[in-house]
Amino acid sequence: MEYYDIDDIIADSQRLPVKFQISVPGLGYLEGNPGKQVSKDSRMELPLWLALILAICPIDDSEDSGQNFVELLPPEFLSAKVQNAIKSSPATIDLHSILPHFYNFVVKWCWLFEDAQLVQLCLDMLRERAAEINSRSSNSTARQNLDQINKLDEFEKRIFKLNYDSFKDLKQWLAAQHP
Amino acid sequence: MSIPAKLTQTLTPGEVNFLAENEMITILPRYSLDKLQLIGTRIPALRPMKREQVPIWLAIILKNQDKCNIVMPQWLTVRQLKAFYDQEVKNSDRFAQLPWHWIEISKALLEKASDDMPDKPHEIRTIIQDLREIRQLKARKGLKELNESYIQLDNLSLLEINELRPFIVKVMDQMRKLSDSVNSGEQ
Repeated sequence: MEYYDIDDIIADSQRLPVKFQISVPGLGYLEGNPGKQVSKDSRMELPLWLALILAICPIDDSEDSGQNFVELLPPEFLSAKVQNAIKSSPATIDLHSILPHFYNFVVKWCWLFEDAQLVQLCLDMLRERAAEINSRSSNSTARQNLDQINKLDEFEKRIFKLNYDSFKDLKQWLAAQHP
Repeated sequence: MSIPAKLTQTLTPGEVNFLAENEMITILPRYSLDKLQLIGTRIPALRPMKREQVPIWLAIILKNQDKCNIVMPQWLTVRQLKAFYDQEVKNSDRFAQLPWHWIEISKALLEKASDDMPDKPHEIRTIIQDLREIRQLKARKGLKELNESYIQLDNLSLLEINELRPFIVKVMDQMRKLSDSVNSGEQ
């Protein structure tokens, strides 16, 4: 992953629902109970970077060994409902409201869960949306596109800007007199 | 380096134009000049009314001073450009084989040496514009076929590639990350 990429860092702090598999003393501050214990089966939301570590680290202890600290619950934004919505209208869906860093998050998520179907869905969606972004960013003024831009994922906003600039540079150069 | 981020992504049109001006073109000099050995190129001795090949940048300087006439390249004629345009229309899945720097060279010659053209400059300008639009449209259609590992841009010119480069590179990189995230276990 890109160490200095701010979007990558933000994607890392996306909160995920988890369920604790065991009781852990002293971790109560995670759910607003400082000093108390986190009891078994309590649910809470943890940032991705913490949830992943807790979900894959096995407990090295005689009684609970083989278990992990937490169990990841399927998050709302990856539910079948959302995935179907993406599948039915990839070009127009409001991806930003689903998750501002959707692609980065999926990359991290699938690194752990190897959800090939989800990745395929994302690839198809990105391909579809990229073509749309390209034609919009090079065809009209930024103001007209404001509505559309608000529906874009942060990564998509970046490529929108890149393409807009690149197209504008060329247009200006073509209009200018040869030195 | 502390240069704007967008300058690290791709070349500017001005830089591409700089490269294009190193292409050779035939001129008809109107005065004499001894041959010159430059670091990059060798300028042949110029004699009045004797055709010579020189870089475009020199041709334009001489033309500005009225010291030569530029012989238009074969492809920069209404007939040849029309043929290219027909090819573009006929083959919707590939690009016609235009020169690597067709946009830059045609722009420079239209501006600086339009009086040397055998055809009417405004006709050439119109066809160049049509060619550019149809090729842009095709390139955009091609974006729907993007994938994470491979892209083929046969016969697209440097300036056209350059325009799309920042966009395509980012999208393909994101696609690569996505597909790597499930395949990394297999390697």
